[in-house]
Amino acid sequence: MSILVGNGLTQWFGSEVALESVDLAIDAGEHMAVLGENGAGKTTLLRILATAARPTSGRLEIMGLDALRERRRLRRRIGFVAHAPGLYPALSATENLEFFCTLHGVSRTRVAEALTMVGLGEVASRPAGRLSRGMQQRLAIGRAILHDPKLLVLDEPDASLGSDAAELLASVMRDRTVVLATHDHPLANKLCQRTLVLRHGRSVGTPTRLHLVQ
Amino acid sequence: MTNSIAVALAVARKDLTAEWRTRELVPALAQFVVLALIIANFGFQIDSRNAPSIAPGVLWLAIVFAGLVAFGRAFAAEREQASLEAMLMTPASPTAIFAGKALAATLLLIVCEAVLIPALALFFGTPLSAAVVFAVLLATIGMASLGCLFAAMVARVRARELLLPLLTLPLWIPFIVVGGQAVQVAMGASSGSYDQALALLVDFDILFVVLTSLVARFVLDE
Repeated sequence: MSILVGNGLTQWFGSEVALESVDLAIDAGEHMAVLGENGAGKTTLLRILATAARPTSGRLEIMGLDALRERRRLRRRIGFVAHAPGLYPALSATENLEFFCTLHGVSRTRVAEALTMVGLGEVASRPAGRLSRGMQQRLAIGRAILHDPKLLVLDEPDASLGSDAAELLASVMRDRTVVLATHDHPLANKLCQRTLVLRHGRSVGTPTRLHLVQ
Repeated sequence: MTNSIAVALAVARKDLTAEWRTRELVPALAQFVVLALIIANFGFQIDSRNAPSIAPGVLWLAIVFAGLVAFGRAFAAEREQASLEAMLMTPASPTAIFAGKALAATLLLIVCEAVLIPALALFFGTPLSAAVVFAVLLATIGMASLGCLFAAMVARVRARELLLPLLTLPLWIPFIVVGGQAVQVAMGASSGSYDQALALLVDFDILFVVLTSLVARFVLDE
């Protein structure tokens, strides 16, 4: 059963088309990689799927809800890791996550669990601004799973994560439906069952088994 | 409702904690308002007769420019850190997020006013009265709600430093006119009605706080 269905997703920025009539369907528990060169439309697509942006046209249904109308309801069930970590540099790792617990309306007891999961237990009290880029990315991933989302949308989360990126991502992706944009084909191959290739904003062929595309 | 209050308080606490640790805004604003008073003190021929007439104008000018900086930073910092989107990606009400940001910016401006008003009394020899403080605080509430709304609107625009005053200042005029009148009366420079001016300020506060709360949702969520 598809948990996410998008039809004709199109995004224009002025006179430029960033995404053109993309169709996709993702089943519950499935991990889909979105591949493509820079500027292919990966980030645009992921922002739409995460309800962070509205498409110019097209339909998107997530978990049976119209994603363009029920954005706030869906945000309880979606975790999003964007390009920029979007953290508060003056607050510690723990304080950053505690703040987002309040915004999500979930217990702060989830913070320690999330920090341990992303391997930041030992730097929990360090200001986010003094964490390395990789650690900040881990913290952003920890924030995305605070509310135990059913759907995880990850925009190049492996950027600067380090050698254990695959293990870390595998642990946060377990038992969740995931859309993952990456340039790292071996990583996508390891973590995802299907792939969607974008070129100049259009999907190339139908979403297929990653191994076949490679 | 309870959750919205918790969100607003969490946002305000987060902003105040960040300011306390970085001390980016308040020391600079405090220096700015004191410098403004020093310049005004040299620029005008101040004596005991004209000080109560000139001081209210200087006070409101300093508040207006300090407010533009304080409210502008409230959302510009979020945009620069890309953290506003992270907040909006939660199920928290955008209105509650806006209220928290406005509350923190208001408190930061009040801290500056706590420097400004005694400094004004020192430089201009005007009375330091509760009536002056109360009028300034009432005006600050409405000005903050409008200032934060426009700051949120222009935060994603490149020319935000130019746009924010252009949009905000015309709507701050009622606060400056009525607040100025209240302060003049409190300083003994005018014989108008202080109570009437305060009542008008309360009306403006209610009007603009309600209006901005209604509009904030659309400004932040899109």
